Amino acid sequence: MNQQNFPVQVAPLESCREPGPEERSMLRKVLDRVGQYCQSRSLFVLHYCTGCGAIELPPSMTSRFDLERVGMQPMVTPRQADILLITGYLSVKTLKRVILTYEQMQSPKYVMGFGSCTINGGMYWNSYATVKRLGDYIPVDTYIAGCMPRPEAIQQGFLDLIERIDGGRAVAWKDYYRNYDRYLGHQQHLFGRDWLTPTDVVGEAAHYRLAGDGTLGPHTALLDQYAGYHQAWGVPREQYAELEASS
Amino acid sequence: MDFDWQHMLIELLVMPTLAFVVGLVMVLMARRLRARIERRVGPPFWQPLWDILKLYSKRTQVSHGHMHEISIIVLLGGMIAMEVFLPVPGFDTFAHHGDALTLIYLMMVPTLGMALGVSACANPNGSIGIARALTAMLAYDVPFIITVAGAAMLYGTTSLPEIIAIQQQQGLEGWGAVQMPLLALAALISMQAMLGKEPFEIYVAPAEIATGPMTEMSGKFLGSMFIMQCFQLYTVSVLYTTLFLGGGENWATFLIKIFVVVAIPMTLTNIFPRYKTEAVVAWLWKWPTAIALVGLFVVMMR
Ligand code: SF4
Repeated sequence: MNQQNFPVQVAPLESCREPGPEERSMLRKVLDRVGQYCQSRSLFVLHYCTGCGAIELPPSMTSRFDLERVGMQPMVTPRQADILLITGYLSVKTLKRVILTYEQMQSPKYVMGFGSCTINGGMYWNSYATVKRLGDYIPVDTYIAGCMPRPEAIQQGFLDLIERIDGGRAVAWKDYYRNYDRYLGHQQHLFGRDWLTPTDVVGEAAHYRLAGDGTLGPHTALLDQYAGYHQAWGVPREQYAELEASS
Repeated sequence: MDFDWQHMLIELLVMPTLAFVVGLVMVLMARRLRARIERRVGPPFWQPLWDILKLYSKRTQVSHGHMHEISIIVLLGGMIAMEVFLPVPGFDTFAHHGDALTLIYLMMVPTLGMALGVSACANPNGSIGIARALTAMLAYDVPFIITVAGAAMLYGTTSLPEIIAIQQQQGLEGWGAVQMPLLALAALISMQAMLGKEPFEIYVAPAEIATGPMTEMSGKFLGSMFIMQCFQLYTVSVLYTTLFLGGGENWATFLIKIFVVVAIPMTLTNIFPRYKTEAVVAWLWKWPTAIALVGLFVVMMR
């Protein structure tokens, strides 16, 4: 990682490292364990229902299968949610919203890809407008195969996720901070090089000591380059052309 | 007046803790009731506690500035102050120093604290939510204050421990609910609005304004909101029990009474849709206020 080229400074890697299990004090270990257990037993779900799979959610939530038994509750804003449930295919346009939503959620956060569309494009595999692999753009914890998966499969997926959170193995969200450059690269490939989100992921990674080797790179450098030209989104066409020519 | 410092200190620590624990069980009861009405099983016993611990153990916490953080302290501080002034069996040192009017004042503090925090978040859903919450407060306070005035007139005092003592001396006939049934009914309705439950659930409204004041709250901030909910259920039910159901002779009857009181709005909330904001104000200023005024008239005619 070559830091001189980037105006955004991330603290040197050594201090960015999380303390390993053997370095933690006894109290810290106990607290972490309690936290982990509570995180696995209380999950607030944000449904992103643009795909057809959403129709299988009401039966899983209501009296037939009742997911509240395992502590799952629907929530309405990304700030409050733990699980982002992507219920099916995403078009290029809706993927933007998913990324904005994902970045607003508070870690630890989990993403669940729902149906074969999120895995490999499903029956839209040759469509020009849909996203083929969700895992390229945001880190996904669990996929549920099927077109569409039945409530039993959905429940099994949730139970698996709960088990992995309890065991401390559901850490895909850390990957987003550690390898932000790679995810951002895929996003820029779809949305253009001036793609920018309101959440400062690099800053967050540095603040919470989650940065890794792949946090900064050529793609995050583009982020800085275009940030000056942006107010929110969308650079005026002429400016964009100038930039394209100069770079 | 001589102060028993030790006793007071213990009370300061024990009463909010008790309120929190009882409140947690009340939240659990509310969720289980909802589940049963929808023919579901409902959450496990420790769920409310797990939710709060989970929210506090979030790794990243978004704060929207100092005002956002201070507001949470104002909100919880107001709630804790309220718990201390409530008379419960065995602990009423502070209740002797405050009275019903103190509580009415303190009841506004959490809502105002919430308004401070939401203004720092600058989320339109939050602003709409808090505007609705303050409007609702204007609406339900009118019948509620008439009710408290009626009770004060009947018992000749605003001191809550004295009100309890008077009711307990006279037995079941002395209960506020028997002496002034109309006021008790009006208070029940304004309690429903105070807890923000359907049909008066205008400021949370998840499907409409994305939980209003809580839209931008995440992690520990949302956790504090959940704690506030526990305190709120406890406060309102204890106040109602004190004014109308003769308070608690001992902890057993006290707990039974407050849980029955909470069960009423929690059941009703599941069978009603939501009013519009202006309809809530119109309805609360019309029916419960009219009932409370008639009740007040009856009390004054005695
Ligand atoms: S996997 Fe099947 S059911 Fe799910 S969104 Fe794709 S086409 Fe629809």
